[in-house]
Amino acid sequence: MHGFRLLFLTAASLAVASHSPTFAQGPAFSTPGMAQSSSQTTRFDNTYNPAIGLMFDVFAGYHIADDKNLDGFDASLRTGEVTLSAWVDPKAWAYGVVVFSDEGVDLEEGAVHYVGFEGNETLRIGRFFVDFGKQMQAHEHALRTPNRPAVLREFLGNELGGDGIEFDDWFTFGEDTIVRYSLGAFQSLQPFAREDGPFASTPDRPEADQLAFTGRLTGFSSLTDLSTLQLGASVRYLPDYSFTDDTNALEATGLENTVWGLDATWGWTDETNTKSWTAGAELLVNDGALSASVVEPVPSTFELAVLNDTAIGYYVFVDHAMDRFDSLGVQVSSVETAAAGLPRLDEYDLYYTHKLSEFQRLRLALTSFELGGNQDTRLGFQYTVFMGPHSHGVNF
Amino acid sequence: MKTLPPLLFLSLTVSFTLHPASAAPETKPLRVVTTTPDLAWFVEEIGGDRVDVSSLAQGKENLHALKVTPRTIVAVAKADLLFENGLSLESTWLPDLILASRNKGLSFESGGRVNASEGWAPIELPSTLSREEGDVHPGGNPHFAISPEAGSFLADRVLAGLLAKDPADTKLFEANHTSLQARIAKAHQRWERYKPLFAHQRVVMYHLEFDYLADFLGLEILASIEPKPGLPPTPSHLAKVIELMGTDNVPPILVATWSNNRQAKAIAEKTGATLLELPSMVHGEPYATGWVEMIDGMLEAVRVAYGLPELAPEEEAPGQ
Repeated sequence: MHGFRLLFLTAASLAVASHSPTFAQGPAFSTPGMAQSSSQTTRFDNTYNPAIGLMFDVFAGYHIADDKNLDGFDASLRTGEVTLSAWVDPKAWAYGVVVFSDEGVDLEEGAVHYVGFEGNETLRIGRFFVDFGKQMQAHEHALRTPNRPAVLREFLGNELGGDGIEFDDWFTFGEDTIVRYSLGAFQSLQPFAREDGPFASTPDRPEADQLAFTGRLTGFSSLTDLSTLQLGASVRYLPDYSFTDDTNALEATGLENTVWGLDATWGWTDETNTKSWTAGAELLVNDGALSASVVEPVPSTFELAVLNDTAIGYYVFVDHAMDRFDSLGVQVSSVETAAAGLPRLDEYDLYYTHKLSEFQRLRLALTSFELGGNQDTRLGFQYTVFMGPHSHGVNF
Repeated sequence: MKTLPPLLFLSLTVSFTLHPASAAPETKPLRVVTTTPDLAWFVEEIGGDRVDVSSLAQGKENLHALKVTPRTIVAVAKADLLFENGLSLESTWLPDLILASRNKGLSFESGGRVNASEGWAPIELPSTLSREEGDVHPGGNPHFAISPEAGSFLADRVLAGLLAKDPADTKLFEANHTSLQARIAKAHQRWERYKPLFAHQRVVMYHLEFDYLADFLGLEILASIEPKPGLPPTPSHLAKVIELMGTDNVPPILVATWSNNRQAKAIAEKTGATLLELPSMVHGEPYATGWVEMIDGMLEAVRVAYGLPELAPEEEAPGQ
């Protein structure tokens, strides 16, 4: 009797399985009421797995600073990064970027690019670095200098990622020019806040008019067979955010901030594509609530003072690739920082990059900072290795 | 939900207005993009006035790392058909360029994208796939288009690609293909005559891109200046190459425009070797105006570099 029941159940299971609709390439084993799943051809087949890449970025610097607390060596594995990319189906591809750093493990990006429209439109959905200027889409290890320029760090933060949706489209003018624009809406696009100051945040459950927005318009043109020019304008708008000081239970809400940016990049390569010159600049304006600080107008009474102002900053650079493996450049950034009186931070970078191969890169960089009369000079050494496919969802 | 939908609606409306669906009139020539000028030459020879062809590379670049420009994005975006060399020669930039161009017609399945190397028997197939061996190509040496043996094969591949996309012009394409094959066959007879001259000769290269040429001529590859494909030479490797080249019967060093660099020049100076810059593609040197002319010019340049005697004039067949 027991054997008969087992036989019956097995036969019934097989019958259900063989008559279940097959979704995508999912297994047919799905009983009524069970959530449908789709996956690989078989449970043990890797054929459609995402492409996996691994990256390590090591940095060692020696500081000579007016503030003696900063003097000395500063060496660390800045980031280890795992990237995954795959087509979801013919109309969408997706990627994920998991970063391991001293701050922990973080899914920095995880987004789907829907490309199933008739034209050049793309819809990006998920968590990703926003389309602002020439550098904010890129992760730090992908930049020409060890760190992002001071003006971007001060106005937008070291990285500007958010959970949201971004629409992107481009069209051509003649045979040599492309114009691209993007519009993004984000639930969580964190405003910049100083590490030692009150914590900045956006609403947990925002209304539509509390969502953060980004926009970019850029024109990219081939001037000749060997040279290109790109011009762009970007904006990041935070309609509603707040500063919180947990120590004194203080909060400033309903704050607004807009960062505007203009960028220009000119590039030239020789006819072998091995030597090149690139020059570029970005000018940014930071308007609205810039920062907050705890003040004590009367003894034992604390208040949160918000700095509402307009700050301006820029960076300019020139980069020269001498051959396939060696390049050097200089970058200057100057920015009015978000503190009372808008003290200016000036930053100078001089760097030399040598590729040991396509997959290993060494960089030597001399960086000098000057803020309010205090100087900090750092000689930095950056070593970056790439294993397997390495890509991010970066637009031109 | 007050702001987002109108913005998205506006974006979609603008975008659809700027990209109206349009079908090219039948009389318009096929818009063809190739990754190399070599392939563009074959397309032009076979397609005649029924194709409007452009090449993404101009002739002197390192094809492993071509820089994408607005012009190349627009060319790919507007193409009806794309020919690529294949064997992963363009793998670092072409897939992303096609993705960026949003040209959904350029797929292998639809016949909009043709891998010219499909069916070619490559040399130097790696036995293991590891970056320990440098920037190796998993499918073998991809520089087959500069093999004198590749002409007939490439003509067939290009004909097949054009016919699949534009069957209405079959008659013209086949006629042009027949005439091109005859021209290549005649040139091939001429190229065969170079082979005996190069018996027991050796050669040094910067990058392994003239291996098919060396294979055709029977040249022994003594060394490459790159220690492994894609890697810059180290001082110890350069010393080893100099030692291998010796002082007697020093072989020439073959370089392309992009690899004619200070290391190659230093070795040539040290050993007294002839440094010979060859085209790695059509338009890579002034004489490489077409694929047949490129092979003619290369063989002649190599012969001169070795100090070998000129070929006797070709005998015209009766009736020619």
